[in-house]
Amino acid sequence: MTELTILGIESSCDDSAAAVLREDGAGARVLSSVVRGQAELHEAFGGVVPEIAARAHAEVLDHCVEAALSEAGLGLADLDGIAVTAGPGLIGGVLSGVMLAKGLSAATGLPLIGVNHLAGHALTPRLTDGLEFPYLLLLVSGGHCQFLMVEDEATFRRLGGTIDDAPGEAFDKTARLLGLPQPGGPAVEAEAREGDAGRIRLPRPLLDRPGCDMSFSGLKTALLRARDAEMAEAGGLTRAARADLAAGFQQAVVEILTEKTRRALALYLEAAPERPAFAVAGGVAANGPIRAALQGLCAEAGVAFSAPPLALCTDNAAMIAFAGLARLRAGEADGLDLSARPRWPLDAAAAPMIGSGRKGAKA
Amino acid sequence: MTPILAIDTSAAHCAAALRLEGRVPARVEPMAKGQAERLMPFLEDLLADEGLGWRDLAAIGVGCGPGNFTGLRIGVSAARGLALGLGIPAVGVSGFEAAAHGLPRPLTVALPAPRAHLWTQRLTGDGAEPPALLAAAEAGEVVHGPDAEALVRAIAEIAALRAATPQPRPAPLYVRPADAAPPRDPAPVLIG
Repeated sequence: MTELTILGIESSCDDSAAAVLREDGAGARVLSSVVRGQAELHEAFGGVVPEIAARAHAEVLDHCVEAALSEAGLGLADLDGIAVTAGPGLIGGVLSGVMLAKGLSAATGLPLIGVNHLAGHALTPRLTDGLEFPYLLLLVSGGHCQFLMVEDEATFRRLGGTIDDAPGEAFDKTARLLGLPQPGGPAVEAEAREGDAGRIRLPRPLLDRPGCDMSFSGLKTALLRARDAEMAEAGGLTRAARADLAAGFQQAVVEILTEKTRRALALYLEAAPERPAFAVAGGVAANGPIRAALQGLCAEAGVAFSAPPLALCTDNAAMIAFAGLARLRAGEADGLDLSARPRWPLDAAAAPMIGSGRKGAKA
Repeated sequence: MTPILAIDTSAAHCAAALRLEGRVPARVEPMAKGQAERLMPFLEDLLADEGLGWRDLAAIGVGCGPGNFTGLRIGVSAARGLALGLGIPAVGVSGFEAAAHGLPRPLTVALPAPRAHLWTQRLTGDGAEPPALLAAAEAGEVVHGPDAEALVRAIAEIAALRAATPQPRPAPLYVRPADAAPPRDPAPVLIG
């Protein structure tokens, strides 16, 4: 296998990132991976503000590229291609990344490779754990939640996904409702350790329906009602009630994800993969109880479980470089007229789940 | 310093100028959308018509606005990528400076802003007051200034003057902070 070195650029949400990856006969190695987060810019607003994110990306991304090259000890002349997230995501940020990559590609003559952000997540288990096709992936983050059967570098079959919000978003909202800090995931998880998950029963939307689709929007509303009921009774939110609410919420998410994963695994195993494997990616995969429940489920089903290390599980540019490398090896590249796409489903054949309107499916 | 490529996508167009020895060919393509797809091929065409390639460039000038936020980021990001890739300076030039190029100062420049407003800035001898956003009705008499083609030529000229000394990286001039409101749900009152 010829040695190829590729730059990756990522800017689809609130992380500006650049990475250098090299692949030769011995496999692919991340030579550098720089991520500049924007958490403090968005903190006061209780969620990612698209215009604030776009402004930051436009002035940070080229610095990330320079830092990634410098950490790898390489120059642009040592590269064989430039991969960039071309969607889906917050369009202002995606545009900044795509235009920066076009400028770099025009200037150097290196091939420009537009990458689907979701493909980056979906292929990461091959980079980190060498999983063989086909494997089942649960991508679960602040912006996404879907089951993908990854059949090869370019074929992803969606078995189901959220019909409204992503769980990461629900964790953030829960943290706000309970007066916990952002990002909500770690804060709710820590609070839940102090609580009784059984005292406040929250609904498990769509769990009574067949299939692998999920819903988290109603869970947020139910949590708000349960909190208000607790507060009305006690004249405020007690520490104990806050912990119980956090625990009850987390338990609901664990049960929804576990049951839907059980069904997705059954569908996946129908394809009789030789070495069945399941991977979970995305920021929510960092949640201990969720990870433990999925791991237990896989052990029961005789399916290998893998979860990439957190740095490659949350948004990063190494995964974009890795997914771009597959396209580069396949002889594919994009022109300087490459479009940035806010919506770009990985599995174009599947029925749209979210935003089936004029602009096409979001996910 | 030549050749210098100037780029402007601050309004509903792709505009470019090429500062060569003794002349500055420029072109403007109006478009309501699609700047991100069109900009690079548009610039390549301009270069090719002069028998030039990207690697012949000595510096890049880019219009930083104020103007359409997305358009500003398209131009600035492309300019920063080109500058990094070519190892040449990129110079950000505001729309106020471009419109006032070659005119006696002090001078107040007004640029069209959305919803019947104007971006304004008073340019003095060698400095400038902070830019502002003003309702068009409050602006008094406004003299029509240079068109998009003249503006992008001015960006090329100003970039040529500045490129010899170290410049900060181009950054969009937004004037207005991002529209963002704190969350609607207030934090609960904790007791006990």
